[in-house]
Amino acid sequence: MEPNTGTAETRSNGTASDGDDVAALESLQFTDEIHRLISATTTNNASSFTALLELPAPEAVELLHSPESAKLMAAPAPNIEDFKASFHFPSNSGLIERAARFSLFAGVGNNNNNTSNSPETPSNNPSANPQKAVKSEPAETESSEPLVSDPTVEKRCIKRKDREKKVKGSTKKSKTAMNESSEDAEKLPYVHVRARRGQATDSHSLAERARREKINARMKLLQELVPGCSKISGTALVLDEIINHVQFLQRQVEILSMRLATVNPRIDFDLDSIFTTESGSLMDSNFPSMVMPLVWPEVQVNGNRQQYQQQWHFDALQQAVWGREEVCNNYITPENSLLSYDSSANSATLHSNQMKMEL
Amino acid sequence: MRPPSSLKQEFLKKWITGLQRCSSSKRNMSILERTKAIKLSADVAMASARNSTTCWSRALIANASKDGSDGKHLVEQILGLESERLMMKKASTGALVCNKRIRSKKILKRSCRIPRTRKCVPQVALATSIAKRMVRKRTQVLKSLIPGGEFMNEVSLIEETLDYIISLRVQVDVMRGLAGVSELVNHN
Repeated sequence: MEPNTGTAETRSNGTASDGDDVAALESLQFTDEIHRLISATTTNNASSFTALLELPAPEAVELLHSPESAKLMAAPAPNIEDFKASFHFPSNSGLIERAARFSLFAGVGNNNNNTSNSPETPSNNPSANPQKAVKSEPAETESSEPLVSDPTVEKRCIKRKDREKKVKGSTKKSKTAMNESSEDAEKLPYVHVRARRGQATDSHSLAERARREKINARMKLLQELVPGCSKISGTALVLDEIINHVQFLQRQVEILSMRLATVNPRIDFDLDSIFTTESGSLMDSNFPSMVMPLVWPEVQVNGNRQQYQQQWHFDALQQAVWGREEVCNNYITPENSLLSYDSSANSATLHSNQMKMEL
Repeated sequence: MRPPSSLKQEFLKKWITGLQRCSSSKRNMSILERTKAIKLSADVAMASARNSTTCWSRALIANASKDGSDGKHLVEQILGLESERLMMKKASTGALVCNKRIRSKKILKRSCRIPRTRKCVPQVALATSIAKRMVRKRTQVLKSLIPGGEFMNEVSLIEETLDYIISLRVQVDVMRGLAGVSELVNHN
């Protein structure tokens, strides 16, 4: 039974900390597999709790995560590399996302686990969302698990065991293994969540817990992306910062578009021909040099919004002139001083030379 | 996997295309009109660079190509007619599906809420309810910020903000670069 052994291996890898319990856990997991196979024949039982789950929009998740993980790794690399060195961990958000995923579950052989589980359970979810279901696993090992074919009955047994306080001292971290990996693997019907000690193993609360952990993982990613957020604790304040950041970026776009409108009387940018003829090299050197003054640093969150803007890392400028409402003229002088970097100056003079030649 | 500079290049190309389209149509535009045109073309270019994989990009393009605004021609220009139709289809179906899902979830929540009784300590309940209210207010504000955000549930909202923040940053960087270079050229 190749997929079952794969499953057992991954779970035993995940619980490697409890060395004593591995053997008993393995036997239990085999019984788990047997139960699942048996319950695969009974269709209605699984749908009773899967139907009550809050399920995310499968479309958005599916569409979002396969390109998004690629984009997260690809797109922010130039911006996030300019983070200040106060980051202790790799600041590439793709790495962070991968690290978050791996911290949440076993890691090894999870893809095997996915593919092994997906063919087992398509019959289980006739009406519910085929993507996910939450299945509880007992927190600690019990070698003698009564053979039951109903997963809800299984949970009742687990509840009894919790109450009987046979749970050992070490608390296991809850794992939403399939939760995370299913998004970039095929659609997986089951989400494996481990119940913590003393927590209810209700299907509702398990589903809620899985959902909450998913949300928390995403929030962690957002915290790392938005500068100044990783030191804040509490969802509401973090959301505050995120909202401020989004508003700031949107306002930047408006201001920049106004600036571009004042620069030329008609919207003609001959520079496009320059950019295309120069091929990627000059533009690559151009953009980082432009971008370099504007890093997205890790900032101390002060109460003062003006200071937040001013702490942006400008090499040439001592004080940033960025305010929330600005006249276009203010931007010209800082930008010109910024453009006095060597690389940018070279590229800019090249631009101007070519413009003159064209004209 | 797309290298980061290619995303910027793609955005820049689409943006310049849109701007050329704008400049060819009218001759004497006021500064406000130009601002709007620049911003619109930048937004549409950014959204199209995502290739309709994200909800916010579809919503943005749907808003831009509403009938009766000059955004429609811009969108056609940047995207190309066929892909624009595809995107409109996806956007409409996506919104419908999301609305239905949200409605059914609300009905389910309401039905589940009634039989459940919770006994909590009053102070704890007060603190958690206050926290929940704060979080809910902020998620509503965030939904108003992200294009197409009202149709999403919490999980996809956070994913969309991630993507949106990244694309906004790319947009700002490209625009700032272009603005700086063009200003320098004009001063010479």
